[in-house]
Amino acid sequence: MIRHALLVLAVTIGVPAHADPSQNPVEVLKELINSVDSAYLTQSDQNLMMMEDNPALWTVEEGKALFHAQRGPKNVSLETCDFGMGPGKLEGAYAAMPRYFKDTGKVMDLETRLVHCMTTIQGFPADDPAVKQRHGSDTDHMKLQSYITAQSNGMPWNPLMDHPLEKAMRDAGEVIFYRRAGSLDMSCQTCHGTTGKRIRASVLPDVNVPQEWTKAISWPAFRVGHQETRSSQHRLRGCYWQMRQAGPVAGSPATIAVLSFWTDMARGQPAILPDMKR
Amino acid sequence: MMSRKTNRCATASAALASIVLILGGYTATHAEEAGKPDYAKMSPEALAEHLILESGSFDLDQPAQEGGTARDRMIQDNLQKLCSKVRNKPNAEQAGQIIAAARASIQYPEGEIPLGDWKKGGDLAWGGFGYRLAHNPDDHSTRDPSGNCYNCHALSPQRTGGDLGPSLRGYGIIRGNTEATRRFVYEMIYNPHAYFPCTHMPRMGAKGLLSQEAIADIMAYLLHPESPVNQ
Repeated sequence: MIRHALLVLAVTIGVPAHADPSQNPVEVLKELINSVDSAYLTQSDQNLMMMEDNPALWTVEEGKALFHAQRGPKNVSLETCDFGMGPGKLEGAYAAMPRYFKDTGKVMDLETRLVHCMTTIQGFPADDPAVKQRHGSDTDHMKLQSYITAQSNGMPWNPLMDHPLEKAMRDAGEVIFYRRAGSLDMSCQTCHGTTGKRIRASVLPDVNVPQEWTKAISWPAFRVGHQETRSSQHRLRGCYWQMRQAGPVAGSPATIAVLSFWTDMARGQPAILPDMKR
Repeated sequence: MMSRKTNRCATASAALASIVLILGGYTATHAEEAGKPDYAKMSPEALAEHLILESGSFDLDQPAQEGGTARDRMIQDNLQKLCSKVRNKPNAEQAGQIIAAARASIQYPEGEIPLGDWKKGGDLAWGGFGYRLAHNPDDHSTRDPSGNCYNCHALSPQRTGGDLGPSLRGYGIIRGNTEATRRFVYEMIYNPHAYFPCTHMPRMGAKGLLSQEAIADIMAYLLHPESPVNQ
Protein backbone atom coordinates (compact mmCIF):
# COMPACT_ATOMS: atom_id res chain seq x y z
CA MET A 1 0.00 0.00 0.00
CA ILE A 2 2.82 2.34 0.96
CA ARG A 3 4.56 1.32 -2.22
CA HIS A 4 1.48 2.09 -4.22
CA ALA A 5 1.10 5.46 -2.51
CA LEU A 6 4.74 6.28 -3.26
CA LEU A 7 4.25 5.30 -6.87
CA VAL A 8 1.23 7.59 -7.16
CA LEU A 9 3.24 10.34 -5.51
CA ALA A 10 6.18 9.77 -7.81
CA VAL A 11 3.93 9.86 -10.84
CA THR A 12 2.24 13.04 -9.60
CA ILE A 13 5.50 14.83 -8.91
CA GLY A 14 7.75 13.18 -11.48
CA VAL A 15 5.69 13.59 -14.61
CA PRO A 16 5.33 17.20 -15.63
CA ALA A 17 1.70 18.15 -16.18
CA HIS A 18 2.44 18.72 -19.85
CA ALA A 19 3.99 15.25 -20.47
CA ASP A 20 2.27 14.30 -23.66
CA PRO A 21 3.80 11.75 -26.02
CA SER A 22 2.17 13.51 -28.98
CA GLN A 23 4.03 16.74 -28.22
CA ASN A 24 6.80 17.50 -30.72
CA PRO A 25 10.04 16.28 -29.07
CA VAL A 26 11.69 19.59 -29.93
CA GLU A 27 9.45 21.23 -27.31
CA VAL A 28 10.82 18.83 -24.67
CA LEU A 29 14.32 19.79 -25.72
CA LYS A 30 13.55 23.52 -25.64
CA GLU A 31 12.26 23.25 -22.09
CA LEU A 32 15.48 21.45 -21.10
CA ILE A 33 17.54 24.17 -22.75
CA ASN A 34 15.67 26.76 -20.69
CA SER A 35 16.32 24.80 -17.49
CA VAL A 36 20.11 24.55 -17.65
CA ASP A 37 23.13 26.32 -19.12
CA SER A 38 24.51 23.67 -21.47
CA ALA A 39 26.90 24.00 -24.39
CA TYR A 40 25.98 20.45 -25.39
CA LEU A 41 22.23 21.08 -25.64
CA THR A 42 22.64 24.37 -27.49
CA GLN A 43 25.43 23.40 -29.90
CA SER A 44 23.32 23.31 -33.06
CA ASP A 45 20.68 25.95 -33.83
CA GLN A 46 20.32 24.28 -37.19
CA ASN A 47 19.33 20.93 -35.66
CA LEU A 48 16.85 22.70 -33.39
CA MET A 49 15.20 24.28 -36.43
CA MET A 50 15.21 21.04 -38.43
CA MET A 51 13.82 19.06 -35.52
CA GLU A 52 10.33 20.50 -36.06
CA ASP A 53 10.22 18.29 -39.15
CA ASN A 54 12.45 15.50 -37.91
CA PRO A 55 12.50 12.70 -40.52
CA ALA A 56 12.43 10.27 -37.57
CA LEU A 57 8.79 11.31 -37.06
CA TRP A 58 8.04 9.50 -40.33
CA THR A 59 9.89 6.44 -39.03
CA VAL A 60 7.54 6.57 -36.01
CA GLU A 61 4.49 6.59 -38.28
CA GLU A 62 5.80 3.67 -40.30
CA GLY A 63 6.46 1.82 -37.05
CA LYS A 64 2.89 2.40 -35.91
CA ALA A 65 1.52 0.68 -39.01
CA LEU A 66 4.03 -2.15 -38.64
CA PHE A 67 3.32 -2.67 -34.94
CA HIS A 68 -0.40 -3.16 -35.50
CA ALA A 69 -0.08 -5.17 -38.72
CA GLN A 70 -0.57 -8.94 -38.75
CA ARG A 71 2.81 -10.32 -39.69
CA GLY A 72 5.19 -13.26 -39.45
CA PRO A 73 4.52 -17.00 -39.84
CA LYS A 74 1.82 -16.75 -37.15
CA ASN A 75 0.22 -13.77 -38.86
CA VAL A 76 -0.40 -11.77 -35.70
CA SER A 77 0.38 -8.21 -34.64
CA LEU A 78 2.66 -7.15 -31.81
CA GLU A 79 -0.33 -5.90 -29.82
CA THR A 80 0.09 -8.67 -27.23
CA CYS A 81 3.78 -7.97 -26.69
CA ASP A 82 4.49 -6.93 -23.11
CA PHE A 83 7.14 -4.23 -22.77
CA GLY A 84 6.75 -4.20 -19.00
CA MET A 85 3.47 -2.32 -18.58
CA GLY A 86 1.24 -5.18 -19.74
CA PRO A 87 0.43 -6.60 -23.19
CA GLY A 88 0.38 -3.87 -25.83
CA LYS A 89 0.70 -1.08 -23.28
CA LEU A 90 3.31 1.25 -24.69
CA GLU A 91 2.79 4.56 -22.91
CA GLY A 92 5.82 5.16 -20.70
CA ALA A 93 7.03 1.57 -21.19
CA TYR A 94 10.33 2.51 -22.81
CA ALA A 95 11.21 5.09 -20.13
CA ALA A 96 11.31 2.20 -17.62
CA MET A 97 13.63 -0.03 -19.70
CA PRO A 98 15.88 -1.95 -19.52
CA ARG A 99 13.90 -4.00 -17.02
CA TYR A 100 13.51 -7.51 -15.70
CA PHE A 101 11.03 -9.75 -17.50
CA LYS A 102 9.64 -12.69 -15.59
CA ASP A 103 8.90 -14.73 -18.71
CA THR A 104 12.55 -14.80 -19.78
CA GLY A 105 14.17 -14.35 -16.36
CA LYS A 106 16.37 -11.65 -17.84
CA VAL A 107 16.91 -7.92 -17.84
CA MET A 108 16.13 -6.86 -21.41
CA ASP A 109 16.49 -3.66 -23.39
CA LEU A 110 13.90 -2.63 -25.97
CA GLU A 111 15.74 -4.24 -28.86
CA THR A 112 16.06 -7.66 -27.22
CA ARG A 113 12.46 -7.50 -26.00
CA LEU A 114 11.31 -6.74 -29.52
CA VAL A 115 13.32 -9.67 -30.87
CA HIS A 116 11.72 -11.86 -28.18
CA CYS A 117 8.19 -10.85 -29.23
CA MET A 118 8.87 -11.08 -32.97
CA THR A 119 10.25 -14.60 -32.60
CA THR A 120 7.79 -15.95 -30.00
CA ILE A 121 4.52 -14.12 -30.77
CA GLN A 122 4.88 -13.60 -34.51
CA GLY A 123 7.03 -16.70 -35.08
CA PHE A 124 9.75 -15.01 -37.11
CA PRO A 125 12.93 -17.13 -37.33
CA ALA A 126 15.87 -15.41 -35.60
CA ASP A 127 17.67 -15.02 -38.94
CA ASP A 128 14.71 -13.43 -40.72
CA PRO A 129 15.66 -9.96 -42.04
CA ALA A 130 12.78 -8.49 -40.00
CA VAL A 131 14.57 -9.64 -36.85
CA LYS A 132 18.18 -9.62 -37.94
CA GLN A 133 18.52 -6.23 -39.65
CA ARG A 134 18.86 -3.63 -36.92
CA HIS A 135 20.26 -0.50 -38.55
CA GLY A 136 18.85 2.11 -40.90
CA SER A 137 15.50 3.95 -41.09
CA ASP A 138 14.12 1.36 -43.51
CA THR A 139 14.52 -1.61 -41.18
CA ASP A 140 11.56 -3.03 -39.28
CA HIS A 141 13.61 -2.65 -36.10
CA MET A 142 14.15 1.07 -36.45
CA LYS A 143 10.51 1.63 -37.39
CA LEU A 144 9.16 -0.42 -34.49
CA GLN A 145 11.65 0.96 -31.96
CA SER A 146 10.86 4.51 -33.08
CA TYR A 147 7.12 3.98 -32.62
CA ILE A 148 7.41 2.22 -29.25
CA THR A 149 9.84 4.76 -27.80
CA ALA A 150 7.80 7.73 -29.04
CA GLN A 151 5.11 6.65 -26.56
CA SER A 152 7.55 7.71 -23.80
CA ASN A 153 8.28 11.13 -25.28
CA GLY A 154 8.42 13.81 -22.58
CA MET A 155 8.20 11.25 -19.77
CA PRO A 156 10.86 10.99 -17.08
CA TRP A 157 13.33 8.11 -17.36
CA ASN A 158 12.41 5.73 -14.59
CA PRO A 159 14.22 2.37 -14.75
CA LEU A 160 12.76 0.27 -11.94
CA MET A 161 15.63 -1.22 -9.90
CA ASP A 162 13.11 -3.41 -8.02
CA HIS A 163 14.44 -6.81 -9.04
CA PRO A 164 17.90 -7.83 -7.81
CA LEU A 165 18.98 -8.45 -11.41
CA GLU A 166 18.03 -4.91 -12.46
CA LYS A 167 20.26 -3.48 -9.74
CA ALA A 168 23.07 -5.97 -10.49
CA MET A 169 23.06 -5.09 -14.20
CA ARG A 170 22.96 -1.35 -13.50
CA ASP A 171 25.89 -1.58 -11.09
CA ALA A 172 27.96 -3.74 -13.46
CA GLY A 173 27.11 -1.24 -16.20
CA GLU A 174 28.61 1.51 -14.06
CA VAL A 175 31.84 -0.45 -13.69
CA ILE A 176 31.94 -1.05 -17.45
CA PHE A 177 31.28 2.67 -18.10
CA TYR A 178 34.40 3.61 -16.12
CA ARG A 179 36.52 0.66 -17.26
CA ARG A 180 39.55 1.74 -19.27
CA ALA A 181 40.77 -0.76 -21.86
CA GLY A 182 41.76 -1.08 -25.50
CA SER A 183 44.56 0.51 -27.52
CA LEU A 184 43.78 4.08 -26.41
CA ASP A 185 43.11 3.33 -22.70
CA MET A 186 39.65 4.82 -23.08
CA SER A 187 36.46 4.32 -21.11
CA CYS A 188 33.08 5.99 -21.62
CA GLN A 189 34.22 8.45 -18.94
CA THR A 190 37.01 9.77 -21.18
CA CYS A 191 34.45 11.61 -23.32
CA HIS A 192 31.44 11.77 -21.00
CA GLY A 193 32.85 12.63 -17.58
CA THR A 194 33.32 16.40 -17.84
CA THR A 195 30.98 19.21 -18.86
CA GLY A 196 31.23 21.19 -22.09
CA LYS A 197 34.28 19.44 -23.58
CA ARG A 198 34.65 18.85 -27.29
CA ILE A 199 35.96 16.09 -29.57
CA ARG A 200 36.97 18.27 -32.52
CA ALA A 201 33.93 20.51 -33.04
CA SER A 202 31.35 18.30 -31.26
CA VAL A 203 30.37 19.18 -27.71
CA LEU A 204 30.07 16.01 -25.64
CA PRO A 205 27.29 15.20 -23.16
CA ASP A 206 28.29 14.75 -19.51
CA VAL A 207 26.93 11.70 -17.67
CA ASN A 208 26.92 13.77 -14.47
CA VAL A 209 24.52 16.39 -15.87
CA PRO A 210 21.14 14.63 -16.14
CA GLN A 211 19.64 17.38 -18.32
CA GLU A 212 22.39 16.73 -20.87
CA TRP A 213 22.42 13.01 -20.38
CA THR A 214 18.73 12.61 -21.21
CA LYS A 215 19.40 13.95 -24.70
CA ALA A 216 22.52 11.80 -25.00
CA ILE A 217 20.51 8.61 -24.36
CA SER A 218 17.39 9.62 -26.27
CA TRP A 219 17.49 7.08 -29.09
CA PRO A 220 16.19 6.42 -31.67
CA ALA A 221 17.35 9.71 -33.10
CA PHE A 222 17.78 10.90 -36.65
CA ARG A 223 21.50 11.38 -37.22
CA VAL A 224 21.94 14.22 -39.66
CA GLY A 225 25.44 13.07 -40.59
CA HIS A 226 24.15 9.57 -41.43
CA GLN A 227 20.74 10.57 -42.83
CA GLU A 228 19.35 7.59 -40.91
CA THR A 229 17.42 6.95 -37.71
CA ARG A 230 19.76 5.25 -35.25
CA SER A 231 19.30 3.17 -32.08
CA SER A 232 20.92 2.97 -28.63
CA GLN A 233 22.73 -0.18 -29.69
CA HIS A 234 24.06 1.59 -32.78
CA ARG A 235 25.43 4.42 -30.61
CA LEU A 236 27.09 1.93 -28.29
CA ARG A 237 28.72 0.07 -31.18
CA GLY A 238 30.10 3.34 -32.56
CA CYS A 239 31.60 4.25 -29.19
CA TYR A 240 33.34 0.87 -28.80
CA TRP A 241 34.67 1.19 -32.35
CA GLN A 242 36.11 4.63 -31.58
CA MET A 243 37.54 3.42 -28.27
CA ARG A 244 39.45 0.69 -30.12
CA GLN A 245 37.86 -1.96 -27.95
CA ALA A 246 36.09 -5.15 -29.06
CA GLY A 247 32.84 -4.88 -31.00
CA PRO A 248 29.79 -5.34 -28.77
CA VAL A 249 27.15 -7.92 -29.72
CA ALA A 250 23.73 -6.26 -29.99
CA GLY A 251 21.43 -7.27 -27.17
CA SER A 252 24.21 -8.95 -25.22
CA PRO A 253 24.24 -8.74 -21.40
CA ALA A 254 27.17 -6.30 -21.27
CA THR A 255 25.40 -3.87 -23.61
CA ILE A 256 22.22 -4.11 -21.55
CA ALA A 257 24.25 -3.46 -18.38
CA VAL A 258 25.64 -0.26 -19.92
CA LEU A 259 22.17 0.80 -21.08
CA SER A 260 20.82 0.14 -17.56
CA PHE A 261 23.45 2.41 -16.05
CA TRP A 262 23.14 5.13 -18.64
CA THR A 263 19.34 5.21 -18.33
CA ASP A 264 19.62 5.41 -14.55
CA MET A 265 21.91 8.43 -14.91
CA ALA A 266 19.14 10.31 -16.76
CA ARG A 267 16.55 9.37 -14.15
CA GLY A 268 13.79 11.92 -13.72
CA GLN A 269 14.64 13.91 -16.85
CA PRO A 270 12.21 13.91 -19.78
CA ALA A 271 12.96 11.63 -22.73
CA ILE A 272 13.22 13.26 -26.17
CA LEU A 273 11.76 10.69 -28.54
CA PRO A 274 12.51 10.67 -31.33
CA ASP A 275 15.53 12.96 -31.09
CA MET A 276 17.74 14.49 -33.77
CA LYS A 277 21.51 14.46 -33.45
CA ARG A 278 24.45 15.68 -35.49
CA MET B 1 -16.61 -4.30 4.03
CA MET B 2 -13.22 -4.84 5.62
CA SER B 3 -12.02 -2.64 8.43
CA ARG B 4 -9.09 -0.41 7.56
CA LYS B 5 -6.77 -2.63 9.65
CA THR B 6 -7.84 -5.85 7.94
CA ASN B 7 -7.50 -4.17 4.60
CA ARG B 8 -3.95 -3.12 5.41
CA CYS B 9 -3.17 -6.65 6.59
CA ALA B 10 -4.58 -8.10 3.41
CA THR B 11 -2.51 -5.72 1.30
CA ALA B 12 0.60 -6.53 3.29
CA SER B 13 0.16 -10.26 2.86
CA ALA B 14 -0.64 -9.80 -0.80
CA ALA B 15 2.56 -7.79 -1.16
CA LEU B 16 4.47 -10.48 0.72
CA ALA B 17 2.95 -13.14 -1.49
CA SER B 18 4.00 -11.28 -4.60
CA ILE B 19 7.53 -10.89 -3.26
CA VAL B 20 7.66 -14.64 -2.64
CA LEU B 21 6.27 -15.17 -6.12
CA ILE B 22 8.87 -12.91 -7.69
CA LEU B 23 11.71 -14.52 -5.77
CA GLY B 24 10.27 -17.96 -6.50
CA GLY B 25 10.08 -17.20 -10.19
CA TYR B 26 13.56 -15.78 -10.10
CA THR B 27 15.11 -18.85 -8.44
CA ALA B 28 13.22 -21.22 -10.73
CA THR B 29 14.39 -19.44 -13.86
CA HIS B 30 17.93 -19.50 -12.65
CA ALA B 31 17.84 -23.13 -11.69
CA GLU B 32 16.90 -23.84 -15.31
CA GLU B 33 20.07 -22.27 -16.56
CA ALA B 34 22.48 -24.57 -14.82
CA GLY B 35 26.06 -23.47 -14.87
CA LYS B 36 25.22 -19.81 -15.41
CA PRO B 37 26.41 -17.72 -12.47
CA ASP B 38 23.87 -15.82 -10.42
CA TYR B 39 24.43 -12.22 -11.50
CA ALA B 40 22.62 -10.87 -8.44
CA LYS B 41 25.12 -12.53 -6.10
CA MET B 42 28.25 -11.22 -7.80
CA SER B 43 30.02 -7.97 -6.94
CA PRO B 44 29.58 -5.26 -9.62
CA GLU B 45 33.28 -5.62 -10.49
CA ALA B 46 33.11 -9.40 -10.82
CA LEU B 47 29.92 -9.21 -12.85
CA ALA B 48 31.44 -6.57 -15.16
CA GLU B 49 34.48 -8.79 -15.82
CA HIS B 50 32.22 -11.77 -16.41
CA LEU B 51 29.97 -9.85 -18.80
CA ILE B 52 32.90 -8.51 -20.80
CA LEU B 53 34.98 -11.67 -21.04
CA GLU B 54 32.71 -14.67 -20.45
CA SER B 55 29.17 -13.86 -21.60
CA GLY B 56 29.53 -13.59 -25.37
CA SER B 57 28.83 -9.86 -25.17
CA PHE B 58 31.73 -8.87 -27.42
CA ASP B 59 33.32 -10.27 -30.55
CA LEU B 60 36.45 -11.30 -28.67
CA ASP B 61 37.82 -13.56 -31.40
CA GLN B 62 38.20 -10.79 -33.98
CA PRO B 63 41.87 -10.45 -34.96
CA ALA B 64 43.51 -7.23 -33.76
CA GLN B 65 45.79 -5.20 -36.07
CA GLU B 66 48.76 -5.50 -33.67
CA GLY B 67 48.38 -9.29 -33.49
CA GLY B 68 46.36 -11.29 -31.02
CA THR B 69 42.62 -10.77 -30.77
CA ALA B 70 40.04 -8.32 -29.50
CA ARG B 71 40.05 -10.29 -26.25
CA ASP B 72 43.57 -9.00 -25.52
CA ARG B 73 42.26 -5.46 -25.95
CA MET B 74 39.57 -6.04 -23.35
CA ILE B 75 41.86 -7.53 -20.69
CA GLN B 76 43.13 -4.61 -18.62
CA ASP B 77 46.81 -4.04 -17.88
CA ASN B 78 47.91 -2.73 -14.47
CA LEU B 79 47.59 0.92 -15.41
CA GLN B 80 44.13 0.54 -16.92
CA LYS B 81 43.00 -1.47 -13.90
CA LEU B 82 44.24 1.02 -11.33
CA CYS B 83 43.05 4.16 -13.14
CA SER B 84 39.60 2.62 -13.68
CA LYS B 85 39.35 1.66 -10.04
CA VAL B 86 40.15 5.16 -8.78
CA ARG B 87 38.28 6.79 -11.68
CA ASN B 88 41.47 8.53 -12.75
CA LYS B 89 42.13 10.13 -9.35
CA PRO B 90 45.08 8.18 -7.89
CA ASN B 91 46.30 9.01 -4.39
CA ALA B 92 49.88 10.17 -3.90
CA GLU B 93 51.28 6.66 -3.44
CA GLN B 94 49.44 5.28 -6.47
CA ALA B 95 50.50 8.29 -8.54
CA GLY B 96 54.12 7.69 -7.61
CA GLN B 97 53.91 4.07 -8.68
CA ILE B 98 52.25 4.98 -11.98
CA ILE B 99 54.86 7.63 -12.76
CA ALA B 100 57.72 5.23 -11.99
CA ALA B 101 56.25 2.48 -14.17
CA ALA B 102 55.59 4.94 -17.00
CA ARG B 103 59.15 6.28 -16.88
CA ALA B 104 60.51 2.75 -17.00
CA SER B 105 58.39 2.01 -20.09
CA ILE B 106 59.91 4.74 -22.24
CA GLN B 107 62.43 3.68 -24.89
CA TYR B 108 64.44 6.43 -26.53
CA PRO B 109 65.93 6.65 -30.01
CA GLU B 110 69.71 6.48 -30.13
CA GLY B 111 71.42 9.86 -29.87
CA GLU B 112 69.40 13.06 -29.99
CA ILE B 113 65.64 12.96 -30.24
CA PRO B 114 64.97 13.80 -33.90
CA LEU B 115 62.30 15.92 -35.56
CA GLY B 116 60.81 14.44 -38.72
CA ASP B 117 58.67 15.92 -41.50
CA TRP B 118 56.09 18.39 -40.16
CA LYS B 119 53.87 17.97 -43.24
CA LYS B 120 53.57 14.24 -42.66
CA GLY B 121 53.16 14.98 -38.96
CA GLY B 122 50.21 17.26 -39.74
CA ASP B 123 48.43 14.47 -41.60
CA LEU B 124 49.13 12.06 -38.76
CA ALA B 125 47.90 14.59 -36.18
CA TRP B 126 44.68 15.12 -38.10
CA GLY B 127 43.97 11.48 -38.90
CA GLY B 128 41.84 9.14 -36.81
CA PHE B 129 42.72 5.98 -38.69
CA GLY B 130 44.00 2.84 -37.05
CA TYR B 131 43.25 0.04 -34.59
CA ARG B 132 39.45 0.27 -34.89
CA LEU B 133 37.73 -3.12 -34.82
CA ALA B 134 34.07 -4.18 -34.69
CA HIS B 135 31.89 -3.69 -37.78
CA ASN B 136 34.46 -1.65 -39.71
CA PRO B 137 38.01 -2.76 -38.84
CA ASP B 138 40.91 -0.59 -40.05
CA ASP B 139 43.13 -2.34 -42.59
CA HIS B 140 46.66 -1.27 -41.75
CA SER B 141 47.99 -2.55 -45.06
CA THR B 142 46.24 0.36 -46.82
CA ARG B 143 47.76 3.14 -44.68
CA ASP B 144 49.64 3.72 -41.44
CA PRO B 145 47.77 4.37 -38.20
CA SER B 146 47.53 8.03 -37.32
CA GLY B 147 47.82 10.01 -34.09
CA ASN B 148 44.28 11.22 -33.36
CA CYS B 149 45.80 14.45 -31.92
CA TYR B 150 43.13 16.85 -33.21
CA ASN B 151 40.35 14.93 -31.50
CA CYS B 152 41.48 16.39 -28.18
CA HIS B 153 43.93 19.24 -28.92
CA ALA B 154 43.81 22.54 -30.76
CA LEU B 155 46.92 22.72 -32.97
CA SER B 156 46.94 24.69 -36.23
CA PRO B 157 44.44 27.56 -36.51
CA GLN B 158 43.46 26.04 -39.89
CA ARG B 159 41.60 23.19 -38.20
CA THR B 160 39.23 22.95 -35.27
CA GLY B 161 40.60 20.69 -32.59
CA GLY B 162 38.93 19.28 -29.51
CA ASP B 163 39.53 20.52 -25.99
CA LEU B 164 39.66 17.36 -23.90
CA GLY B 165 43.39 18.09 -23.78
CA PRO B 166 45.12 21.48 -23.54
CA SER B 167 45.52 23.71 -26.60
CA LEU B 168 48.88 23.19 -28.31
CA ARG B 169 48.51 26.15 -30.65
CA GLY B 170 51.86 27.92 -31.03
CA TYR B 171 53.51 25.22 -28.92
CA GLY B 172 56.91 25.51 -30.62
CA ILE B 173 56.91 29.30 -30.26
CA ILE B 174 56.14 29.07 -26.55
CA ARG B 175 58.42 26.15 -25.66
CA GLY B 176 61.21 26.53 -28.19
CA ASN B 177 62.85 23.68 -30.06
CA THR B 178 65.50 22.67 -27.52
CA GLU B 179 66.69 19.16 -26.65
CA ALA B 180 64.91 19.47 -23.27
CA THR B 181 61.61 20.35 -24.96
CA ARG B 182 62.03 17.59 -27.53
CA ARG B 183 62.67 15.12 -24.75
CA PHE B 184 59.56 16.22 -22.85
CA VAL B 185 57.35 16.09 -25.96
CA TYR B 186 58.71 12.68 -26.88
CA GLU B 187 57.97 11.35 -23.40
CA MET B 188 54.48 12.87 -23.40
CA ILE B 189 53.64 11.18 -26.69
CA TYR B 190 55.31 7.93 -25.67
CA ASN B 191 53.73 7.59 -22.22
CA PRO B 192 52.09 10.69 -20.71
CA HIS B 193 51.48 8.93 -17.38
CA ALA B 194 55.14 9.72 -16.65
CA TYR B 195 53.94 13.29 -16.00
CA PHE B 196 50.17 13.03 -15.52
CA PRO B 197 49.23 9.74 -13.80
CA CYS B 198 45.84 8.47 -15.03
CA THR B 199 45.65 11.12 -17.76
CA HIS B 200 43.06 10.51 -20.50
CA MET B 201 45.81 10.73 -23.11
CA PRO B 202 46.76 7.46 -24.83
CA ARG B 203 50.24 5.88 -24.61
CA MET B 204 51.12 6.16 -28.27
CA GLY B 205 54.68 4.86 -27.85
CA ALA B 206 54.42 2.49 -24.91
CA LYS B 207 51.51 0.64 -26.53
CA GLY B 208 53.28 0.56 -29.89
CA LEU B 209 50.54 2.53 -31.64
CA LEU B 210 52.91 4.90 -33.47
CA SER B 211 56.30 4.12 -35.02
CA GLN B 212 59.41 6.10 -34.08
CA GLU B 213 59.20 7.79 -37.48
CA ALA B 214 55.58 8.80 -36.94
CA ILE B 215 56.39 10.21 -33.49
CA ALA B 216 59.25 12.24 -35.00
CA ASP B 217 56.90 13.62 -37.70
CA ILE B 218 54.23 14.61 -35.18
CA MET B 219 56.92 16.24 -33.01
CA ALA B 220 58.04 18.28 -36.03
CA TYR B 221 54.46 19.40 -36.60
CA LEU B 222 54.41 20.63 -32.99
CA LEU B 223 57.87 22.21 -32.81
CA HIS B 224 59.12 23.16 -36.29
CA PRO B 225 59.05 26.94 -36.87
CA GLU B 226 57.52 26.47 -40.34
CA SER B 227 54.68 24.24 -39.13
CA PRO B 228 51.22 25.85 -39.24
CA VAL B 229 51.01 25.15 -35.50
CA ASN B 230 53.62 27.87 -34.99
CA GLN B 231 52.34 30.50 -37.43
